[in-house]
Amino acid sequence: MREAWVVGAASNRFGKMKETGREAATRVAFEAIRQSGLEPKDIGYTFVSNCFGLTEKQGHVGPLINGGLGIPEVPSCTIESACSSSSAGLHEAFVHVAGGFLDAALVVGVEKLSHLDTLSATSYFAEAADYPFETKNGATFPGLYATLASAYQQAFPMKPEVLGSVAIKNHANAARNPHAHFQKEISMDTYLRSPMIASPLRLYDCCPFSDGAAAVVVAAKEFVKHPVTEPLVVRASARAGSITEMQDRPDLLGLPASRAAADTAFRQAHLERRQIDFLEVHDCFTIAELLALEDMGFVPRGTAGTAEVDGVTARDGKLPVNPSGGLKAKGHPVSATGASQVVEIFEQFNGLAKGREVPRTDTALAHNVGATGGSCSVHIFSRR
Amino acid sequence: MTATWALACPRCGRAALLEAPLGERGTVVAFTVLSVPGDEFLNDAPYAYVVVELDGGGRVTGWMPSIKSEGDLAIGARVHFVPGYKPGVQFARDADAPVPR
Repeated sequence: MREAWVVGAASNRFGKMKETGREAATRVAFEAIRQSGLEPKDIGYTFVSNCFGLTEKQGHVGPLINGGLGIPEVPSCTIESACSSSSAGLHEAFVHVAGGFLDAALVVGVEKLSHLDTLSATSYFAEAADYPFETKNGATFPGLYATLASAYQQAFPMKPEVLGSVAIKNHANAARNPHAHFQKEISMDTYLRSPMIASPLRLYDCCPFSDGAAAVVVAAKEFVKHPVTEPLVVRASARAGSITEMQDRPDLLGLPASRAAADTAFRQAHLERRQIDFLEVHDCFTIAELLALEDMGFVPRGTAGTAEVDGVTARDGKLPVNPSGGLKAKGHPVSATGASQVVEIFEQFNGLAKGREVPRTDTALAHNVGATGGSCSVHIFSRR
Repeated sequence: MTATWALACPRCGRAALLEAPLGERGTVVAFTVLSVPGDEFLNDAPYAYVVVELDGGGRVTGWMPSIKSEGDLAIGARVHFVPGYKPGVQFARDADAPVPR
């Protein structure tokens, strides 16, 4: 197996895009390639993710993006894994590059939802759930994570302020991230007064519907030779699956796929949890950040809330979590999210995360969940 | 009711599945009360989405139109199937509706 590097990573500002998904995807891909010092013709394959492209009446977007980059002859395909789509694309890029099948690959994730109203967007999101067992019984994504939150609260009673502390931290980080959808801090009072969406989750427990695009260039160490940026060495690229439906899970405390993907990733990387400097985790809802920290073994089950309240996960804490603002406040343009987590790590490693730097940037982990845990990706990166 | 959406057990992988009747009553193990529904439940909110451990074994998910706020239900509450007015599995609290014998 060859050593694979992330040599370029770019994102637009999440929120509301005027341009189409395809245009935004092409733009961030061009920027990521430019940043890498490679040429578009060096790309051997483009892995695109665009779950809701059909709402823009556009499928098969890969060749269109490649055409816009001047490389229409390069093969492409679309990778769908719900909210973990572009980290699944990153995994494919890694496998092909590390395995020697490609020298360089492009990963692009893009989503545009702002042309839909909240009802349509909520309904499209729900399509990633189990239709007969979940959606037909009234579940939505906030509803499903709220159900997990209710089981968690039953086992580990906590005040609303605990989930609030996650929202406040991630908003504070996003306020310093020019890519973020919400660039404003919130107070506990604002959090507590926000309306209940699906008990116990309030509006400010939920990530927004965002438009956005992010791209990552993966290349073999031996192909790059003289990198023009500080590359991220891909130390682990792991994927896992698990039972998705609530009624079939052995327990409702956490997401089994997160546990499995993290265990595999740490075995691949030959690293211990304590050696990771900071994390980008899948906080589509505040409760999901607690579950992620516990599932991946960074804190014991039932204690993530205390870690959050005590500031362990703050930008200047012992283990910074979501310095980008996370899905919660940076935004969650479904198919762009996994790639955008890598953009944050790339910017932190390259000194580009101005105003939101974390203290140590030698290793980092990205955790990206598909739906309510049917899929999960965990990537671990380090410096050369 | 029957639920045969799998050809093998998602927990153990065995394909030797048997059809078994489910109990009509059970206990809530997790729930949420939704204020913002999807399009198929637009006129039903607020309502509860529930995970129920059935008497005699087996878990199912369902919904409860009679639950209008978080305080109307608790984990551990006793519920039972009721005929639904739309597709989906509908429950009611034992305290609110006749319990099947």
